[in-house]
Amino acid sequence: MRFLKKKLALVLLFLLALITLSGCTNLTEKANTQDTWKTIKRRGSVVVGLDDSFVPMGFRQKNGQLIGYDIDLAKAVFKQYGLKVDFQTIDWSMKETELKNGTIDLIWNGYSITSARKKKVAFSRPYLKNEQVLVTKKQYGIKSFAGIAGKTLGVQTGSTAETFLDEYPKLLKDKIKGKQAVLYDTFPNAFIDLNAGRIQGIFMDEVYARYYINHEKDKSDYQVYFDKTLPSDLFAVGLRKGDKTLRRKINQALGRMQQDGQLAKLNKKWFGTASNYLGKD
Amino acid sequence: MTLKYVAEIMPSLLQGAELTLQIFFWTLVGSLPLGLLVSLGLTSKFKPLKWLLNFYVWLMRGTPLLLQLIFVFYGLPIIGIVFDRFGAAIFAFILNYAAYFAEIFRGGFQSIDEGQYEAAKVLRLSYGQTIRKIVIPQVVKIVIPSIGNEVINLVKDSSLVYVIGLGDLLRAGNVATSRDVTLVPLILVAVIYLLLIGICTFVLHKVEKRYSYFK
Repeated sequence: MRFLKKKLALVLLFLLALITLSGCTNLTEKANTQDTWKTIKRRGSVVVGLDDSFVPMGFRQKNGQLIGYDIDLAKAVFKQYGLKVDFQTIDWSMKETELKNGTIDLIWNGYSITSARKKKVAFSRPYLKNEQVLVTKKQYGIKSFAGIAGKTLGVQTGSTAETFLDEYPKLLKDKIKGKQAVLYDTFPNAFIDLNAGRIQGIFMDEVYARYYINHEKDKSDYQVYFDKTLPSDLFAVGLRKGDKTLRRKINQALGRMQQDGQLAKLNKKWFGTASNYLGKD
Repeated sequence: MTLKYVAEIMPSLLQGAELTLQIFFWTLVGSLPLGLLVSLGLTSKFKPLKWLLNFYVWLMRGTPLLLQLIFVFYGLPIIGIVFDRFGAAIFAFILNYAAYFAEIFRGGFQSIDEGQYEAAKVLRLSYGQTIRKIVIPQVVKIVIPSIGNEVINLVKDSSLVYVIGLGDLLRAGNVATSRDVTLVPLILVAVIYLLLIGICTFVLHKVEKRYSYFK
């Protein structure tokens, strides 16, 4: 009897695992093959997933309204197709799962192209170049990337900077104290630590670094360094691999915006640069 | 900290607090009755039911609530069960809190002397009557302080819903912090939590007093 019960439990467990696994492949398969353009068209709106604390790409104003470079861009793109854009706040670490499960249609929030992400999601043409920079303060006496030797460095968990740290270990990782960077959930915490002297440098997105430093009282105390050997980080829209029509439509709309000067206008508005960059497909 | 700034961000924080309160309210409405039912099952003599419920309690108390939220919202769609964000949060919270409440109620039931059940039997009361008229009034008195503890925990645990993209009080504070590059919003968030829990404590105190008869 007892033996039988054990066997039964095992069989049940096995079945459960099987259902879960088969379900898993189902969802992934659906995301990779299904073209949802018709559904989106019928619904009249497309759902964009974003982290509403990512300044200045997409964030909430004091009155709760969403603004940002990506918000403006997404609205302008879908205006061309008469579609409304619903912005859905998501937890950034769950973005690919949200996309796969269909709770959002697009990831559009300073989402950069990486080889690991390319395996799981499709990307539009990149619309913005972002460098990974080293931010430090004058008092720490760091004059270049090499100056970080023996010092403590901070990065955001799951950020491009963190990936670069491992991909180009000679540049920073091998030099820093303990060969291990301090991980932060959000950039403001990293800046608090930088100001308190617990870390001497932050490796991060240029876009946010510029925004943050502009908000500090002692702007001239901060220093920002580039490294030419690092590839630029390209921001693009993330889609399910199956959404081929949606991808084509977004690319066409971006192309039109480059030609009629709307893209340049957006760059001027948010970054003060005259760039009209739109990457190749 | 200027008053003007506080006035500016207050509406968004209060909006977050509203979601926190909604989660708080619906979780209590669902989990208290469920917890009571589960506790009755836990003290029953029917063994398979007892095993099943023990497994449920073990599962709920043995894994972090954050993980349960992730499984309910991101994991269940894999087997075809799709919740909306708020529904997923309430579902996970009710299941989790019911397990804790069930254990508290079980403690309450077990502190009732066996003799009372026997006495009720002699008086020809049915099981339902015994539980409703004799046991539960006493159990309620015993468990109120422990339930209160969990209720207060619930107010703060509700901040975990950030993981499924819901904007509660703490998230509203985090958003303001990363936009304005200041810790002031988080101080306000702390004040609001303290106020909410202050009200909870007051109400719980009143309830405790109301049930303190026979003392």
